[in-house]
This record gives sequence, C-alpha cells and structure tokens, in this order.
Amino acid sequence: MAQASSFKQVSDVSWEIPTTYKQGMRVPARIYATRKLLEAMDNGVIEQVTNVACLPGIVRYAYAMADAHWGYGFPIGGVAAFDVEKGVISPGGIGFDVNCGMRLIRTNLRYSEVKPKIKELVDLIFNLVPAGVGVKGFQNFAQGQMGDITSLGVKWCAEHDLAWDDDPAHVEEGGYIKGADISKVSRQAMSRGVSQFGTLGSGNHYLEIQVVDPARFFDPDLAKGFGIVHDDQVVVMIHCGSRGFGHQICTDYLRNFESSMRRYDIQVRDRDLACLPFDSREAKDYYSAMVCAANFAFVNRQIIVNRVREAFSKVFHRDAESLDMHLIYDVCHNIAKVERHSYEGFNGELLVHRKGATRSFGPGHPDIPAPYREVGQPVIIGGSMETGSYLLVGTKKAMEETFGSTAHGSGRTMSRTAAKREVRGAELQKKMLDRGIYVKAATMDGLAEEAGMAYKDISEVVETMDRAGISRKVVALRPVGNIKG
Amino acid sequence: MPFRYLPDVALADVAFEAESDSIDGLFETCALAVTDVMVDPKTLKGGTAKNFSLEAQDLDRLLYDFLTELIISKDVDSLLFREYSVKVDPGGRSLTAQARGDAIDRERHSLRNDVKAVTMHLFGVSQVGPRWKATVVLDI
Repeated sequence: MAQASSFKQVSDVSWEIPTTYKQGMRVPARIYATRKLLEAMDNGVIEQVTNVACLPGIVRYAYAMADAHWGYGFPIGGVAAFDVEKGVISPGGIGFDVNCGMRLIRTNLRYSEVKPKIKELVDLIFNLVPAGVGVKGFQNFAQGQMGDITSLGVKWCAEHDLAWDDDPAHVEEGGYIKGADISKVSRQAMSRGVSQFGTLGSGNHYLEIQVVDPARFFDPDLAKGFGIVHDDQVVVMIHCGSRGFGHQICTDYLRNFESSMRRYDIQVRDRDLACLPFDSREAKDYYSAMVCAANFAFVNRQIIVNRVREAFSKVFHRDAESLDMHLIYDVCHNIAKVERHSYEGFNGELLVHRKGATRSFGPGHPDIPAPYREVGQPVIIGGSMETGSYLLVGTKKAMEETFGSTAHGSGRTMSRTAAKREVRGAELQKKMLDRGIYVKAATMDGLAEEAGMAYKDISEVVETMDRAGISRKVVALRPVGNIKG
Repeated sequence: MPFRYLPDVALADVAFEAESDSIDGLFETCALAVTDVMVDPKTLKGGTAKNFSLEAQDLDRLLYDFLTELIISKDVDSLLFREYSVKVDPGGRSLTAQARGDAIDRERHSLRNDVKAVTMHLFGVSQVGPRWKATVVLDI
C-alpha cells in the first residue's frame, strides 16, 4: 500500500510525486485522494502512474484520480496529456475496451410507480439486452453496415430511426468522433464487432435502474437543468463499451506498436505502455481504428437504450416519449482525444488519454450541448451495484488543473478471486434483494466478483473530487434493479 | 492444478501463472486457465473440434496469439474449449493445435467471465531449470 509520508501533500486531497522518484520521469505525478484513499491505494498505481510520467511528450503531470487502481500499463483512473507533435499515443493508455462509458437516461416515473413492477421490468430488460459470456447481439443490423456505424456513430442511428432527435447532442462529441477509417481495422475485429453488436458484456458492465437519493440531493437547481426534478425520480444507467470490436483493435495495435517502437528508439517500462509518436504513420493508423471503436461503442450504448425504452414502454403501457426517457448524457471513460487546453501560458491542442477517467468540462465550454453549456458537462460516476452511483458536473477548475478530467467509478480494492472467496453469488443476490435491489445476473460467479466490498467507498471518491473542485456533486443515485452481464 | 491465480495482481482483471515440463504442456495449461476464467470446464462436453495453425515472431508472441485466438473463437464462433492438444515447432515460432469444446449454451454451461483480451502486462514465457513457466494477465 502507498505511504502518504513519501509524497508531497499539495492540498487535503491532492499529492505530488516529484520527478526524482524514478529515473526517466519527465513530469511529476499528481494523485487525487484523501489520506485514507491514498494509503489504501495499491503500490501498482504508484508504479504505473510514475511509469506514465516517463513517456515521451507528456506534459504537466501524469494523473491518478481518487478511484485509481492497478491496471496494465496505465493505472485505471489515469489521465495523461501529450504534445501532439512531440508526444506519443499509447493503446494501453486507453484500454482494451475503447470508449467504455456511462449513459444516464431519465424518466418521469417515481419510485412508488416502479417498485411494484421492478421484477417484471428487470426480467424484460434482461431478455431484451444480450449480456454475458459469448452472447450474440443484433448481427443482422451490423452486417454490411460496419463502415457507416464506425464512421458516423450515433448519427448513423439517427439516420436509421434508432435514435431520438435530441439523443446525439447529449453524447460526448455529439456521438461521433471524426477520423475513423475502417480500412485500418482487422478482419478479426470486424467479426467480433458484428457478432457482439448491441450487447452489454460482463465483468463490471451493468444496466441499472436507479432512484434519486433524497438524502443526497446535493444541488436540486442544477439537477433540474438535467431533467431530474423529483427526489424519488427513476433513472437508468448503462455501463459498457465497444465489446470485442474495440478489444481486438487494441490487441492488434499493441502487437504492432511493440515491434515498431524500436524504429523510433522508444523504451518503456511495461510492455502495455507500448507507444509511438502521434504523428507517425503507425500511430495515425491506430488512431483511425481506435476512433472506429469509439464510434461503435456510442452506437452500442444507443442500441441498448432503445431496448430499455421499449421495455419501459411495454411494462408501463405508455410510449417512451410520454415517459420522458431522454438521454441526460453519455460519457466516455476509456479514450484518447485531441482537445484544446490552456495551462501555464500554453494554449493549443493536446492528445488527452483518459483510462478509467471521465471528461469534466466546465461551464461555457463549446463542446457541451447548448442546454447544459452554462452549468457544465454532466459527469456520470458509476459505483458498485450495491452502493449506488453519482451524477456530477464538470468545473472550470478541472479545465485549469486536470485537462478537464475527473474520476470514473469507485475503483477496486479486492481482486475478483478474493471477492469470490468472500461471498457466493446466490447469497449476495438474496442480500441485495433484502435491501431492495433486484438483481438479474448472467452468472453467479460474475455477480460475486462485483460485490460492493470489492470496491472503494464511492462516496469518498466522489467527495474527494468535489473537494478538489474538479467535479461537483449534483445527486446520488440508489440502485433498485440491476442487470449484470 | 498446473496453473494458479495471482489474486494480488491487477485487481480488476485476472492474472495467472502456469507451468509445465514441456512447452506444449505450458501452452495447453495456459489455454485451460483461460477456459477456467470463462466457464466451469466440467460443464463442457467437448463434442466440437477446432484446429489452429499459427506463426509468430517469437515464443512469447506465439502464446499471446494462441490465447487471443481462443477469445476470438468465444466471440465469433461462440465456442468454449475443455481440451487442448498443442504442438509447438522446435523453433518456437509456429504451432498447430486442436481444441475440443462446445457451442455456448447458457442453460447447460456454468459461465463465468467474458474475457476481453490478453494483456502484455507481466506477460512472459520462461524456462526455469526443466520447467516452463508463463505469467498472463487477462483483461476482464
């Protein structure tokens, strides 16, 4: 575990590791955490964030957010920005699940209306949204359409009557990132993408029906702007990404990057930190393929939202429009994007990697959809299925301090193997039902691995980011129904 | 068990260490570990066979590619395997293998985790005395 006394304390919730910590560090590392969270962080985070600080062209800091935990290459909960001319891009700094992200949909239903039908609702969604190991998705939709899906993202959905008019504007980047090139994607990635189109996945991916927690309704005025007006309002949260399509693209390019690094005389401390100059041909090819996966993920979440709207409509005998099932927002938390930032006299484009970290753009930013622009970008932080989640908002301080970035979840403190030793899936399912959370899981083993005790206290993570001023709490969301892949 | 999980490595993922007295056996053991992460192998019957033929620049890469092929088979062909027979060529740069397993059936198979990918984190094959060893971290 990390020792707080080894680091320079910057504030009550931020710490710095100087470049003298490790040979080759080009910038210091910055960790956001309370003393308690820092001391609970595994040493893998410290090793990994300081390894990231050694990468060519990194600017300002290598960051670890309050939810950081040991990943591969970059820590999960890591942010790093690179000079677009002298810096690198690293597939391991984005992750295998390209554009894994969160979606939040509101309803105008109150919990008292949903509670008697929660089992029916969750069971129906479980049947409509494919989840779990090796499950097939909506292959007929995707077959022959992958070029358009991956270049147009949610715009493709809008063109095919698979999105509401206001859906694309409520997705990060408007639901599609420019620069996709399907010719840079392997045949294996295409096959995996087609077969898993519209699926939830497994691991920590979930679909959750949640209720506003009246005791933690922090900013009702701001919440109103996001369409959350009641203190027992029901919302739906979706956590998933680009499925096998993105996983294979990352696999393919990690392999290419590792062998190409020699040509650019780049050495890294971990094979999963393989990286290449962003302006190299190989890096451009990866970026074009990675953008394909990012756009695929936006569409994947959209297809799932359509099934959720269909399920609510069937159960409540009203169309989804009359249930006000609008998208509040969709955020990426595994991505690299070229963004414009200013710091210490610099004003220009940077390549920002966020791996298990969320964009947190503050008020007035032109990339925020018009209805939210004055208040800031919605930030969706998903917790464990037992402890609930949070809606926050981006801040100006995040723009100044972290390249507009914050945490993404609660972060694990216990391995999957250890969690399974502690609790059995069926026992956990019953315990959760007793607490008013109806869970439908594709596998009982997978359920046990995602038990709340395997994660950090999400409230402490969120409180840390709020106190640091890089995202601000709006409302806490309590789970009442959960679908686990 | 010829492989053991490493619960203190990469908390969100699954790490394992495998060993064998032969390189063929090491590849087979690693493949069994990947299966074990995805499904209880005892619930598979092994009625369907799939053949693999791979080439790579070195032994590490050959194992990485072989395990990746198993993940692709799970996603594209919906196949999970319980038995493996692997023959690595003497140079360690190519292999032929046969895997036997079943098409995924949620009712019959006790499914576990959907492996996304084999990571390069801590990945490696080594020979310690007469034993071959490998460390693998799977992204979940």
